[in-house]
Amino acid sequence: MSERPSLWWIDWRLSPGPLVRETIGRFLLFCLLGFALLTLLLSGGVSRILADRYAITAVLRAEVPSGEGEGLARKAAALPPVRSATYRDPETAWKEFLRSYPGLDPLRGAGENPLPGYIEIRIRPDRLTVEDVEFVVSALRAVSQVDQVLAGEEWLPRLLSAGRLASWACWGIFGAFLAGFFLFARLQERARAVALAGDFAFLAERGVSAGRLAFLRAAGAALSGFLLAALGAAAGGGALFLSLRKFPILERVIGSPADLLLPRTIASAALFSIGVALLCSATSLLGWSAARAGRK
Amino acid sequence: MTPGARRILSAFLVAAVSLGILFPSAAGGGRDVAAELRRERGRLLEMKKREEKTARELTEALWKEKRSKGRVDELQEGLKRQRRLLSRIDRKISALSDRLDRVEKAVRELGAAHGRARSELRRAEFVAFSGQRAGALDLWHPSDRERERHFMRVYLAADAEGVARITRAREKKEEELTGIERQVAVTEKKRTREKKVGDTLLSRQEAERARLSGIEREKKRKEKELKSLRAKIARMESVVSRVERQVKERERRARKEAAGKSARGSAEAPRRFASLSGGLSAPLAGKVVTRFGRQHDTTFDVTIENRGVEIEAFSGASVKSVGHGEVAFAGAVSGFGNVLIVQHGGGLFSVYGRMESFLVKQGEVVKKGTVVGRLPESPSGKSVLYLELRAGGTAIDPTSVIPLDR
Repeated sequence: MSERPSLWWIDWRLSPGPLVRETIGRFLLFCLLGFALLTLLLSGGVSRILADRYAITAVLRAEVPSGEGEGLARKAAALPPVRSATYRDPETAWKEFLRSYPGLDPLRGAGENPLPGYIEIRIRPDRLTVEDVEFVVSALRAVSQVDQVLAGEEWLPRLLSAGRLASWACWGIFGAFLAGFFLFARLQERARAVALAGDFAFLAERGVSAGRLAFLRAAGAALSGFLLAALGAAAGGGALFLSLRKFPILERVIGSPADLLLPRTIASAALFSIGVALLCSATSLLGWSAARAGRK
Repeated sequence: MTPGARRILSAFLVAAVSLGILFPSAAGGGRDVAAELRRERGRLLEMKKREEKTARELTEALWKEKRSKGRVDELQEGLKRQRRLLSRIDRKISALSDRLDRVEKAVRELGAAHGRARSELRRAEFVAFSGQRAGALDLWHPSDRERERHFMRVYLAADAEGVARITRAREKKEEELTGIERQVAVTEKKRTREKKVGDTLLSRQEAERARLSGIEREKKRKEKELKSLRAKIARMESVVSRVERQVKERERRARKEAAGKSARGSAEAPRRFASLSGGLSAPLAGKVVTRFGRQHDTTFDVTIENRGVEIEAFSGASVKSVGHGEVAFAGAVSGFGNVLIVQHGGGLFSVYGRMESFLVKQGEVVKKGTVVGRLPESPSGKSVLYLELRAGGTAIDPTSVIPLDR
């Protein structure tokens, strides 16, 4: 058995040069896809962006003192869907308001601040749903110190729909890339199978069955695909980790770098690698069968 | 009649009556003296009438002066009150003017503040509109825009409330201003009215002062005239006294001659009331209301000299002779009413004035306590008796020799 050449890596023996180039290309692609996958996993599509853009404002009554406002903010932060709740006193609200409308600054002069304090409540990205928002809003409206709750009820459903569409689009693009990889890899496999057809015929004459040859080639492609995908995902994850560390602002869009080490993230990366391995194996078989059909 | 006039009349009366009494006994002494006495008496009577008339006119002038002064004082008091009232009104007008200025200033300031607030509100609305348009396309911060829009509504509402508050305050101030202006107009009218009243009072006071000045001139003229008359009467009295002394000297000589002839052993007639035989008694039971000597009259603010006393008693009371004597005179004397004079001898006389009727006749001898007449009836139930005692031509205080209730 040892005298017989291993059929697992027959392609590497018969055509090592092109295969190295192909492997490098696939690795780079998997790095990119791994990066995209992890980014999508961490950000939840556009959920984190939406959660960062969306906030519920609980406008307090004018007579509510700062201490009471801060206490209310702490209570609001304790609600399950709430990610953070920040109290802004009237002075801060006034300054923010004047920053938004700089033309008003000289108008008011010595006039007193007419604005009350407020609590800005942000929802967890994974809890940004109409139901959870309504839960928080109803809880806030029940508080006597709260004068009004601004939750964007008019536009929130549209915003969430748009978010869902955007998320689907992101995953669609990711899927399209995978599909593109599948098609391109199939063509590569077919071309290689055609190019090595004489060698495969020689092996057939020596008693190696075509089915066994195809199976072993597919197993080799799956193994190499798995390894390449795992390495690519790891490299992409590393790049993502470094990016998040270097640009903290990205955390608001993507998420914390620590989330990369969560089991669910690792499991997802593993699934991605397995999926890629299956795709590679399928492309090998499809390319083999296409090459044989063409020869006949 | 004034007490001064009474005093003069009293002196004159006594002198005249004395001469009238003495005249018959001196007739035998010398007809030239009697004629002179009659002449002087006539002149004295005439002067007395003039003096009485002048005194009456003077009294009238004094009453007029008093009344006029009273009126002037009243007018002056009225003017003072009017001036105080005008001063109060002026102060009120001044205070109202100050208040008016303050309110006008406040209205102006509120008007300016209202204009500023409205302008700021319009500009804020413009800023809000511009911001709204700019923020409409900002889908990246929807919650922030929503909050800003809400706060802009709050801001505009506060500004609108500020404008409304200033408008209300200005309207209130304008109402206050109108009220003050109305008040000022009313007060000015009142001031004009009171000023007219004050002017009327002033003109009346000036007229009254002019009238008073005329009265004072008249009074001075009368006083001067009265003084002149009194001087004349005094001179006349000295003449009468001289004649009286001559009569007495003649009587003394006649008595000496008679004593030499009839070797009289009778005692010398008394020269003092204290030495009058039988003593003296009160003419009636009553209270002395006018004292003898120099007295100050508060009504006219003058010092007068009383030659006798006035005794207040019940109306119709009987008047008794204070001592033994002979009725020398019983008749009416101007200013004293019915006057009775009793000669007690030795130059002593008692005079009873203001009597209603006489119960004795001239020449009749009366004893101490003899009822010589009655006091007049009066609605008040009280009447006054004038009592004067003269010794040697000099009036003496009746209370010093007769026990009278003072």
